[in-house]
Amino acid sequence: MTSLRNKYFSFLTRTSLGWNFKKGRVSRRNLWSALLFLSPTLIIFATFIIFPVFFSFYLSFHEWNMFSSETSFVGLKNYSRMLSDPDFWQVLKHTFIYTFGTVPLNMVLSLMIAYLLNQKLIGKKFLRTALFAPVIISPVSAAVIWRWLYDPNFGLINYFISLFGIDTINWLNDPTAAMFALIVMGVWKTFGVNMVLFSAGLQAIPDSYYDAAQIDGAGRWAKFWYITIPLLSPTTFFIMVMSMISSFQVFDIVYVLTSGGPLGATKVLVFYLYEHAFKFFEMGYASAVAYFLFAILVVMTLIQVKYMKSSVYDVV
Amino acid sequence: MTAGKSKKNQMSKIGKSVLLHLIIYTAALATVAPFIWMILTSVKSMNDIFVYPPKWWPSEFHFENYKRVFEAAPFGRFYLNSIFVAITVTLGQLITCSMAAFAFARLKFWGRDVLFFVFLGTMMIPYQVTMIPSFMMLYWLGWIDSYKALIVPGLASAFGTFLLRQFFLTIPKELEEAAYIDGCSRFRALWSIIIPLAKPALATLAIFTFMGVFNDFIWALIVINSEEMRTVQLGLAIFRDRYITEWDLLMAGSVTATFPILFVFFFAQKYFIKGITLSGLKE
Amino acid sequence: MSKSFISYLIILIFLIAIFSCNTSQKITEDKITITFWHSFVSSTIPALNELITMFEKEYPEIKIRAQYIPTGDALIQKLITAVQSKTAPDISWLHSDFMQDLVEADAIYKMDEFIHGPDSISQADLNDIYPALIRYASWRGVLYSIPMEATNLALIYNKEMFRQAGLDPEHPPQTWEELHDFATKLTFDKDGDGKFEQVGLFLPIFPAAGPLSSWMVWQWLPYLWQADGEIINEEQTRVIFNEEPGVQALTLWQNIFNDLKLNTFTTDYDVAFASKHLAMSMDGPWNLPRFEKMMANLDWAFAPLPAGPKKRATVVGGEYLAIFKQSKYPNEAWKFLRWIIQPEIQAFWSMKSGYLPIRHAVSKIPEFQEYLNSHPNFKVFVEQMEVGQAQRPIDYYGIQITRYVAEAIEKATIGKMDPKMALDEAAIKANKLLSMVPREK
Repeated sequence: MTSLRNKYFSFLTRTSLGWNFKKGRVSRRNLWSALLFLSPTLIIFATFIIFPVFFSFYLSFHEWNMFSSETSFVGLKNYSRMLSDPDFWQVLKHTFIYTFGTVPLNMVLSLMIAYLLNQKLIGKKFLRTALFAPVIISPVSAAVIWRWLYDPNFGLINYFISLFGIDTINWLNDPTAAMFALIVMGVWKTFGVNMVLFSAGLQAIPDSYYDAAQIDGAGRWAKFWYITIPLLSPTTFFIMVMSMISSFQVFDIVYVLTSGGPLGATKVLVFYLYEHAFKFFEMGYASAVAYFLFAILVVMTLIQVKYMKSSVYDVV
Repeated sequence: MTAGKSKKNQMSKIGKSVLLHLIIYTAALATVAPFIWMILTSVKSMNDIFVYPPKWWPSEFHFENYKRVFEAAPFGRFYLNSIFVAITVTLGQLITCSMAAFAFARLKFWGRDVLFFVFLGTMMIPYQVTMIPSFMMLYWLGWIDSYKALIVPGLASAFGTFLLRQFFLTIPKELEEAAYIDGCSRFRALWSIIIPLAKPALATLAIFTFMGVFNDFIWALIVINSEEMRTVQLGLAIFRDRYITEWDLLMAGSVTATFPILFVFFFAQKYFIKGITLSGLKE
Repeated sequence: MSKSFISYLIILIFLIAIFSCNTSQKITEDKITITFWHSFVSSTIPALNELITMFEKEYPEIKIRAQYIPTGDALIQKLITAVQSKTAPDISWLHSDFMQDLVEADAIYKMDEFIHGPDSISQADLNDIYPALIRYASWRGVLYSIPMEATNLALIYNKEMFRQAGLDPEHPPQTWEELHDFATKLTFDKDGDGKFEQVGLFLPIFPAAGPLSSWMVWQWLPYLWQADGEIINEEQTRVIFNEEPGVQALTLWQNIFNDLKLNTFTTDYDVAFASKHLAMSMDGPWNLPRFEKMMANLDWAFAPLPAGPKKRATVVGGEYLAIFKQSKYPNEAWKFLRWIIQPEIQAFWSMKSGYLPIRHAVSKIPEFQEYLNSHPNFKVFVEQMEVGQAQRPIDYYGIQITRYVAEAIEKATIGKMDPKMALDEAAIKANKLLSMVPREK
């Protein structure tokens, strides 16, 4: 039993990345059937996604005010302007802070809640729906409520912290506090997504493993650490990559809660991009920023891939 | 086991259960409270809304706000549009993403990993820069102001493909391999073996896709012109302009806009309840 | 699962069959249809429909198809895609934000072509329009749009709170000193918990990068002008908002902001006013209909903005209509624009919609005068049009320069920076941009 378990873990740790095929025999027939299975997706992608992606790359070397039908070539000017703009580096810093503030918190919280929801509970359906509600609610409505929660005079949050003897914090008007406030709202708004994903992942783990471990004398923590976590790794990898990508691209909630303020303290990358595109009508520059973001995300994803590959779960 | 020990075990079990319920219901309350606020505000009069600090309970109930929403614009038609588009795209994605995910998870072919990374890469470009060129694409196809513009680009998804691929990877190959030996075709394997086992993942994808399409504003804004083709989110925009927000109507409209999503979520939850286990594994 | 799946498929096919026939446009053969894009909020739509019906009665061969487009960024994005896909409307709302870009893309007509064309407008008529509006409707001195309605900024105040504070309710603040003084007197903390239950004046301080940023600058401009300042010099070579008048105006705001601890106050001034937490605020006429309904039991009134050290001024806004070159019927579109600026039509539209008329002649119409007398608050706004000023339009980099001003305002208030320093920082950035403008001599 133990050896099968270990074999299974090593299988899953490697296949979470999908690199588990024997090198060598790549048959023609496989390519043909692969194409068949991929064809609907590939056709749609080729038509609607590849062109915009390449066109925006092309645009990043031009200037275009979007109303006219002409673009003017400017070479690397957009990129060099971006790298020499102190605003840009500030914005990049804020984005990193936001991402590293929300992603770990989000993942831990959503895993904990998904795990708790897997236990014997009354009213699971209601609970899941209630915990998922923040994801459904529109950013505008959510921001109205959070702005009230953060109100310096009458907000609930300041009320709670005053019970612990802490002075009121001006959440949305203080540059440091605002980022914190944004992170909290960001986690609240999106943890439901990961909770659902983790729930689905947890369902896929067969009870027989837990039963076997129980017989072996494993306690709750051991079961969690040695069965749940490894078997969740494909899901975890997915969640980590997607959370990182979407945190880096956060826009909606920043726009409605703080609008990049106060004093630009919560301005993030896509916000910066958006204003250059639709306020200053510099779509070429905005595209350059988009591709810089793309490069960052590629690097970060590769780092995560390497991390998943090298983390080994107690395998013989 | 002595009687005393089992009683102690029972007490601590109940205690743990109570604690668990307390924690999770508090969390659920914190997350659902804003939603409740929305619903309460949707039946308030503007007098109750224009209060600082904000008040929770309405002093009088104005259920006719919902009627007024439907009178302000042809929301019935907007709903039909939104639901039709959302269902079509969801079903379409379930099909295309399962097929693509199967190829990435199960078939070994030349360029597989590179292609997969290209897929992932497309998610890393923010939509704000690709939306104008995407629009141009649809214009050249002549699809502006039609259902095709809202549906077809959404039929494939890198997110959905990625999601399903990860799930398919957790299903042991042994099951299909047994079927292949019996002469089963690849497609049959996908349909009869993988799909039933991946129901939680498919339900998850269905929820996210439905919600994403239903809540979309920007894309509908730029590809739709005529009023008959508008979606609910476009319709709700009429309650806000530069200076004024008609909160009572906006909240009422927003609440009704969440019902279809909640419905799909509730319905899809049955796939989250543990049922099917991988009984085919030899031990 | 397969059974329900199949039933879904059937329903789907059924729906597709129904809806696929529905994308055809209704074309009325005998009439010329003009598309008109606007962002009027739902409560104004009935008035708009009445207006259109009136027009169509006078011009039976023309039909106006008014389409609501969400305002702000959405309007911009829609116009971009429309112009690119050659589906631009005939007429659309415009803001000076993007007028320059539309002109550079050669997307809209110069109004001159029509003014001196067959359906002309006399010079007298043009001169009757408030000059501030003509300024906003032009770019580099050329008229590219026609104003449809106007707005300006006035002061709303709570008379009851004035009485309670020992101030004369019929004497709203007339100078900056009175404004500051009254605001301080009207601010107090009843229960000693350090928070002000009532605040004397609201100052619109919003994030400089956010959607309300230009509205913040718009409300600061009157103070700049009242000190006899301007944003940019006449030659458009450098900005002058960081000179003495600008510093004075920003210092006033900084002082009030700090004294009233406005950084802990809500930004929903209308809510605060209606729930008796705010004594004074600036606002435009667009809220009048709502306020009259909602605050019927509050003793409030509008007053002109106080005068500054040098003069009285208020800032003027409004909606401008432009005709797109892609229009198939520019002359018919022009007929609508020309029709709208007539005094009787302006009077009708103004009384119905709550916006202000665009020209002097309207005030002479007896019906309108009656309306003004029975709506004293509205009268305040109409009278202020006489001192209404539009900013000297910034020919190039207008948006960026406005943004720098917004940053300076934010820094001086929330950031507690010295006003001169904040404005100087903004001026350096603005002048750098201006130095890149090609100068033709």
